[in-house]
Amino acid sequence: MNRPPGPEQRASALLGLLMVVAGVVVLVDAARLPGSDEALGPAAAPTLIGVLLGLLGGGLLVQARGSLRTGNGKPRRLWRLTALVATLLAFAFLLPIMGFVFCAAVLFVSAALLLGAPHPARVVAYGWTLAVVVFLVFDVLIGLSLPAGPWGF
Amino acid sequence: MGFADALAPANLLWALVGVTIGVAVGALPGIGPAPAVALLLPLTFRLDPTAALIMFAGVYYGGSSASVLLGTHASLEVNRVAPIGRFVGGTIGAVALLVAAPFVAGIAVHFGPPEYVALMAVVFATVSALAGPSLLKGAASLVIGAAIGLVGQNRLTFGMPSLFDGIDVVVVVIALFALGGTFAHLVEGTGESRFEPVRGKPVLSREDFRRSWPAWLRGTALGFPFGAKVSAYLSYRVEKRLSRNSGAIEGVAGPAAALSAASVGALLPLLAIGLPTSATAAVILTAFPSYGLQPGPQLFSESGDLVWALIASLFVGHILLLALTLSPARVRLPTIPAYGIHAGVLVFACLGAFAAGGTIAALVVLTALGLVGLLMREAGVPVAPAVVGLVLAPSAEQQLRRALASSEGDWTVLVSSPLTVTLWIVAVLVLLTPLVVALRASRRS
Repeated sequence: MNRPPGPEQRASALLGLLMVVAGVVVLVDAARLPGSDEALGPAAAPTLIGVLLGLLGGGLLVQARGSLRTGNGKPRRLWRLTALVATLLAFAFLLPIMGFVFCAAVLFVSAALLLGAPHPARVVAYGWTLAVVVFLVFDVLIGLSLPAGPWGF
Repeated sequence: MGFADALAPANLLWALVGVTIGVAVGALPGIGPAPAVALLLPLTFRLDPTAALIMFAGVYYGGSSASVLLGTHASLEVNRVAPIGRFVGGTIGAVALLVAAPFVAGIAVHFGPPEYVALMAVVFATVSALAGPSLLKGAASLVIGAAIGLVGQNRLTFGMPSLFDGIDVVVVVIALFALGGTFAHLVEGTGESRFEPVRGKPVLSREDFRRSWPAWLRGTALGFPFGAKVSAYLSYRVEKRLSRNSGAIEGVAGPAAALSAASVGALLPLLAIGLPTSATAAVILTAFPSYGLQPGPQLFSESGDLVWALIASLFVGHILLLALTLSPARVRLPTIPAYGIHAGVLVFACLGAFAAGGTIAALVVLTALGLVGLLMREAGVPVAPAVVGLVLAPSAEQQLRRALASSEGDWTVLVSSPLTVTLWIVAVLVLLTPLVVALRASRRS
């Protein structure tokens, strides 16, 4: 709303493009579904949604047309986003190996630093405290059985 | 009968937990009641259903009004007239719910699949047309949600067994709302910012009260039937037009009552018909089956105690909410820096997704959908319609299939009764509303 129109238009165009691609994927997937003698087979809903994805995505693209040609605004901090996504994926794959407390603490610290936290030492302390408290409350108290690392927590 | 249950110490405690979480997530930037309920879902499966629903409702009405108010015009006026406005809107809304719910459920019992299909069409039209800045963006969001809802069984699984059971609603809601918000924060680079709480004594003067009470009542009347987004806007416009002086107090009092009444009003279709009309209501609906409850009008006959206890808890909860928002404790809460809040949200998001899915795949899906949420947010596409589409589109397909099976493939069954015809006309009119508004605006300028 109070953001400049440039980035919003670009994001709109990108989302539209993504929706068109997703629409094609949904339609291709629907085409290989077995037919049925029902009035509404399993392919009917995906076909409708695939078409709608394509139409609405195309609409967003048309609405945001031209935005891709205009110059960039301020440099976006996309590398930070990439780093955070990598951290999240690392969290996902390391969780069963390293245990919840370690992974959650690392996730908190990396995210906070990427978001611009000023005191690294303090953030590390916060991260470990939060991870331990969450583990105690949800694993020990509520019995959610979170994955434990080689050191048992 | 319901009050006895709602006043049981345990349920009173859960109502307090609910409104406290609601106020907290409402006051913190970038989080709202929908992801909060989604995060609580997997963590409370072992709770008694009544207690869980009382807590979820508390998060809903505790959080839905605070977020909008504090986000836009945090000022002393908000602090003075908003808490009581919320109390008035919520309590009158609860009375309306108490009276209307059995009546609506009594009618809805006779609904067949064609009526449900038509009702869902109305909901789809409403959320697309009214939730966002434009019909195109609202509808895009709805269809994105519906597409995610397709995944499962033999559709769109790409041979991956982890996708066979579909993508958990909890994972989608946490990803689109919480992760999307955190990612946006990261890209904007506003991590160093602090959320400044409103200072000043929340004491209501006689003058404030005189100016506020008509606005509270008007806001309530708009909020209960029309939902949060529309009624807050309408109420603000109405108060600005009616007030002779600045209208600052009325312009806060009205929307506060409207938002509170709207969150209670959304419980009417949810409980009496089994139909969610907002993102939070959609998340609450997905909790019903895991507690062994069948949402819909039969809920009143099958689990009457639970419904009455839930409605009674609204009265108790709004008193708790009033006490909580007027107490000095809440002022201390939001002084946590933004980076701490968002990093903590990420930890809880991963915890919730893991608890809901129990697999690594759920966490990978969470991250991917978080990026979709970021893109939607950046593009100005509202997220709430996606959640409604995700929850409601599969059941719309199911009801449509049932309707067509009963009529042996004759599509005219969808418009075979006066009620269905009326509902379809309403759906079309709602879709036309943004076009008419745009046309009038362009003619005026």
